[in-house]
Amino acid sequence: MQRSNFERGIERIDDLVLSMARSVGEALGRASHSLMTQDLELAKSVKKGDTIIDSIQASIEELVVELIATQQPVATDLRHLMSVMKLASDFERAGDYAVHLAKATKLFFAEPAWRQFESLKVMAEKGQAMIEGTARAYKARDSALARRIAAMDDEIDHCHKALLSDTLSLMQEHPHLAEKAAKIITISGFLERLGDHMTNACEAIVFIVEGTRIELND
Amino acid sequence: MNDRQTHDYAALVVRSLNIRYADGHEAVKDMSCVFPRQGVTAIIGPSGCGKSTALRAFNRMNELIPGTETTGEVIFGGRNIYGADMDPVRIRRHIGMVFQKPNPFPKSVYENIAWAARIHGFKGGMDALVESSLRKAALWEEVKDKLKKSALSLSGGQQQRLCIARTLALEPEIILMDEPTSALDPISTSRIEDLIADLKKDFTILIVTHNMQQAGRISDMTAFMLMGELVEFAPTKRLFVHPEDERTERYITGRFG
Repeated sequence: MQRSNFERGIERIDDLVLSMARSVGEALGRASHSLMTQDLELAKSVKKGDTIIDSIQASIEELVVELIATQQPVATDLRHLMSVMKLASDFERAGDYAVHLAKATKLFFAEPAWRQFESLKVMAEKGQAMIEGTARAYKARDSALARRIAAMDDEIDHCHKALLSDTLSLMQEHPHLAEKAAKIITISGFLERLGDHMTNACEAIVFIVEGTRIELND
Repeated sequence: MNDRQTHDYAALVVRSLNIRYADGHEAVKDMSCVFPRQGVTAIIGPSGCGKSTALRAFNRMNELIPGTETTGEVIFGGRNIYGADMDPVRIRRHIGMVFQKPNPFPKSVYENIAWAARIHGFKGGMDALVESSLRKAALWEEVKDKLKKSALSLSGGQQQRLCIARTLALEPEIILMDEPTSALDPISTSRIEDLIADLKKDFTILIVTHNMQQAGRISDMTAFMLMGELVEFAPTKRLFVHPEDERTERYITGRFG
């Protein structure tokens, strides 16, 4: 009886984690699209959607605390619950970065598009792929997939570095654009961090499945 | 580990222990392990897995059950306790046991300790022994004014601590505990657990428990038994976070069967 309660709890948590990942992935897609199309309404919807993401995280934490208190989980069960807390917090951060990207829409509104926007779009797409892949690896409890997804972080890092050097030279040529250029660098940095958070989430999945702590972002 | 190191580290060394009951049931199959000195080792496993039978083998209690056949070795202090020249009564002085249900003698609190000590030839100051044993068992403050009262007038938790005090009076090296809190309420259980944590500095404690949370709370090492077999024996922290054997994982997470 108690076990089935526990398993029902885990199923509920799984649903929440997957729906959180879906929301964060969509938010990132909308944020990137709003910047490219100068769609202020779409950008606003990202900000609004973030409260939903935060509330899903709160529900996950509540369920985890409840299960620990009432079921005294050990072994895989305990590793699962501890890791889910980290996973949810990584997705929550990713959601915040999507909001930062969406905010750029207003900042650059009614201006000609910067060439860096294309790079930001590519980074956001890679971020989305990492979010979706992380969710798939979690759902399937697939540590090999988690490792492959974490490896995608290198591509985002690479994009960030390229954007950084491109934007720095632009700042030197056109000092009057420095303020906005700095903003672009900040946003690129957020997307780079998003990749790190998905890497951490993948490490948490490996810990659930294999019981070993690993560093995937070296 | 060479023999000398094993001797320093080990309270008990079990080698190929097999125990068969009169009806042919093999309760313990080829158990081999080293129980470290001091600290608490918990033995867990489902009902009928052989954990209590194994525990009783460590001070030769099984031979009180007619037809029980024990083979293999249990080395204590460098000698096999099943050796031909070994006296079970002497062994039980060094390796004491506390049972599931508190079983004080129907005598006074004082006599419960004094009587056991006298039987084993204690000739020192009895008052001092009674007091120090009751203090070690964290019972003195509660019973110092009713030493002449019947032990049966104490609460269940106090009776169990009296039984522990009685065991301590003989100054054993190892204390075997067979589900010592399963008949007690949570508060008495917690007192006994605190007591165990205190006693492990001076004694080696082997405890059989059905309560996995208890094993997790109080033990340093945990042994998991299944159908007479010692499946896994590891530091408690490791066994409860990342057990190596699939069967241990299934049992401790409640997915067994």
